[in-house]
Amino acid sequence: MKRFFVCLSIFLFVFSGIAIAEEKAKVPNLKIPSAEVLKSVNQELVTATVGDPKTFNPITSSETSSSAIYGYVFEGLIEQDPITLEFEPNLAKRWEVDKSGLIWTFYLRDDVKWNDGQHKFTAKDVLFTLNAIYGVPNGMQDILTIDGKKIEAKIINDFTIQFILPVRFAPFLSVMQWPILPEFVLGESLKNGTFESQWNISTNPKKLIGTGPYKLVEYESTQHAKYERNPHYWKKDEKGNKLPYIEKRTILIVQDANTAFLKFKKGETHFYSPSPEYVAELEDNQDKLKIVVKEIGIGLGVEFLVFNRNPKYYKKEDKKTNPKLLWFEDLNFLKAVNHAIDKESIIVSVLYGMGKIAPAIIAPSNHIFTNKDLKDYKYDPDLAEEILEKAGYIDRDNDGIREDENGSKLEFDLSTNAGNNTREKLCSIIKQDLEDIGIKVNFRPLEFNTLVQKLMDNYEWDAIVIGLTGGSEPHNGANVYKSSGKLHVWNPAQEKPATKWEEELDRLVSQGAQELDLEKRIKIYHHLQEILHENLPFIVLPRSISYTAYNKNIENYFSTVFGTYKLERIFLNK
Amino acid sequence: MKSFLLKRLIQIPFILLLISFMSFMVLQLAPGDFFTAMQMNPQISAETIAEMSAKYGFDKPLMVQYILWLKGIVCGDFGQSLSYHVSVVQLIGSRLVSTVILSFCSILFTWVLAFPLGVIIALKANTILDRGLSFFAFLGMSMPSFFFAFLLLLLALHTGWFPIGGTFSSDYFDLSLWGKIIDRGRHLVIPVLVLGLGGMGSLMRVMRTQVLEIVNADFVNAARARGLSEWRVILKHVVRNAINPFVTGIGYLFGALVSGAALVEIVLNLQGLGTLVLTAVQSQDQFVIMGVLLISGCLLLVGVLIADILLTLVDPRITFKKLEG
Repeated sequence: MKRFFVCLSIFLFVFSGIAIAEEKAKVPNLKIPSAEVLKSVNQELVTATVGDPKTFNPITSSETSSSAIYGYVFEGLIEQDPITLEFEPNLAKRWEVDKSGLIWTFYLRDDVKWNDGQHKFTAKDVLFTLNAIYGVPNGMQDILTIDGKKIEAKIINDFTIQFILPVRFAPFLSVMQWPILPEFVLGESLKNGTFESQWNISTNPKKLIGTGPYKLVEYESTQHAKYERNPHYWKKDEKGNKLPYIEKRTILIVQDANTAFLKFKKGETHFYSPSPEYVAELEDNQDKLKIVVKEIGIGLGVEFLVFNRNPKYYKKEDKKTNPKLLWFEDLNFLKAVNHAIDKESIIVSVLYGMGKIAPAIIAPSNHIFTNKDLKDYKYDPDLAEEILEKAGYIDRDNDGIREDENGSKLEFDLSTNAGNNTREKLCSIIKQDLEDIGIKVNFRPLEFNTLVQKLMDNYEWDAIVIGLTGGSEPHNGANVYKSSGKLHVWNPAQEKPATKWEEELDRLVSQGAQELDLEKRIKIYHHLQEILHENLPFIVLPRSISYTAYNKNIENYFSTVFGTYKLERIFLNK
Repeated sequence: MKSFLLKRLIQIPFILLLISFMSFMVLQLAPGDFFTAMQMNPQISAETIAEMSAKYGFDKPLMVQYILWLKGIVCGDFGQSLSYHVSVVQLIGSRLVSTVILSFCSILFTWVLAFPLGVIIALKANTILDRGLSFFAFLGMSMPSFFFAFLLLLLALHTGWFPIGGTFSSDYFDLSLWGKIIDRGRHLVIPVLVLGLGGMGSLMRVMRTQVLEIVNADFVNAARARGLSEWRVILKHVVRNAINPFVTGIGYLFGALVSGAALVEIVLNLQGLGTLVLTAVQSQDQFVIMGVLLISGCLLLVGVLIADILLTLVDPRITFKKLEG
């Protein structure tokens, strides 16, 4: 008995230790480079990125291969600390919101110059950028549209700007990180309708005017982009040294992840984000290659299995209900499926051992909003079979496949986008595991666009393994949670919520968007995750763990799945 | 000759029209369009997607879309790339030089080697030399080019003899003219080997068969009987007569010059049209695909025309009358 208590207390101790570590994300201590390093000019940092940029225009771009290139040139009013996930001042010194929660006032820095060295950054540029976002069709537009209405902006003076929201909107700060563009360069183009083709990949890179730490000086498609320090950059370290410390940056553009790996191994690049299959090899050779390999957290993306519960699909030809709808709405069936999937073996065989089971839909890395209390439906095929037996899914004709009470065999198609290795492997494991408990699965990989059409337009599918990316702001998933959302995958674009719990989800989503008190907001999203976990519209599959590898000489480099912490502070030790 | 030229020159635009129409329609058979992938982004609304797709005329009937595109082509406007927001001509232009340099070098490499080697293995048919070279020819033909590229990359990694991929170094633009040429040359070694050896095998074998067919023909023996040196017999009589399939091949090379080699480009990280077309097809960037198809179709037709003219010059048995059919 005594031993039991000791065990328990150690267990508790370990647990609370983890809880504290996760709750208070520690901000790292930044080093200040020695005078020698500061003086050594021509420090150059080389990285590789996979995929060519499509444009340098931050507003018309929608892909990460573009922002990976122009990202160093521009800045937003505020920025998110990738470690604490709090919003920090950037081009705005501070901000405040009035009691109604509708009027947000941003006080801008008055010492910021555009990298041409002549023009000052003012509130006019902020207003211009907002107008540009609303002026041409682009993805950012929808993020800044609240309840179908635009945000109004009012210039108070050169360095103060007010945003007036149509309704209270808690995620407002998270949508305020858009890069600010110079009106004196692009203003004319917005008026004459040529804004979208401004700053495209054939533009002379020197014409890109931003306030960010670096200037783009050279770009060669599919080969490289080169940067020099922005001499007019406003940030300084505690001792008044100019930032960024590193004078030059080069980004090698590669088209194949393997090439990036070879270049890193040869020492041509300083950083590399290894995919799981390469982590072990790099870890084993850390000393030989003079590198450090570090875990940066659980990836933000989530892969899940989802069943089609859209009545439009099942009730088409005859008035009779297709039996599949009954199973897919039956919680017993869903629970049995969840218990039947061997998640540990998914981690081993699909994620190369670098994965974690976390059943909440919000990623554990989002330590503010994720619900840690949810218990996974553990792998237990016996329990799964027992649940199916009790619910009346019994193999009556002894052919190894169960039938429901009306005699229909439990058999469905499982799809995913062909060519996605991870998902194809996930499907084959799921197929195997389900056939072990007497459910027949036909695996039918589909071409990506066909899959999207099925999901969005004709709803002709049974079950799909698909993924969504995540972020720090839970409201970004509103389109998935809301019953009227087009990405409410299992039954999208409903006119009225089909079930009680979906009605509750709708209520929570709109509450979550309006609650400005963080504690209350967290509770709302915890509850939302609980509902999803109980009703199982998604069966969340294990998440992968991300890694970074970097040259030993690099100092002040701290990275999480949300990004790199204060990248202007990175420097190279000789 | 004049009537032949005129006839062919009039044919070309019609063939191009047909090519463009068919490829346009085939493109529409693929499920979804450029904007389909955006639907999976939870933060972009259906209205925004509709607005974007209307901007490019995708809401209009197919025939109208095609005619609008054709109208642009006639006026020299190849349209805008959907993903790059740049005119297609500009986009293709940015990749053209590197593609042409690479294609030209690898074709040159193939021909300069395949031609004499083919003759040699024909003359030494069924000896160890023939077997050995043929073995390499078949190896080159059967080894997937991207795999070969990978092997050479590993070699480069371990020996440091060659750079790991890329069309030029990142400091290329700071180099002197000679530096630039040397830099490009160093980067060309691996891709030229990969592409060149792949194409060499088949050419060598064709040359071998051709020479073998002729080398014992009566007129060749007659030449020998006249007391010509074997050297002259081979060059003046055998090779001259074996060359026809190669001249025809020149026509196709024009098309090949810009077609690029997507897989090798990706593995070796080369700047080229191959990857541009591949990503355009994957993302269904319609106007880019159409633009490249039209240009390579045009080059192919012109190439075939030139090859036909050359053929009449090389082989007096072939006349324009025969070519016209």
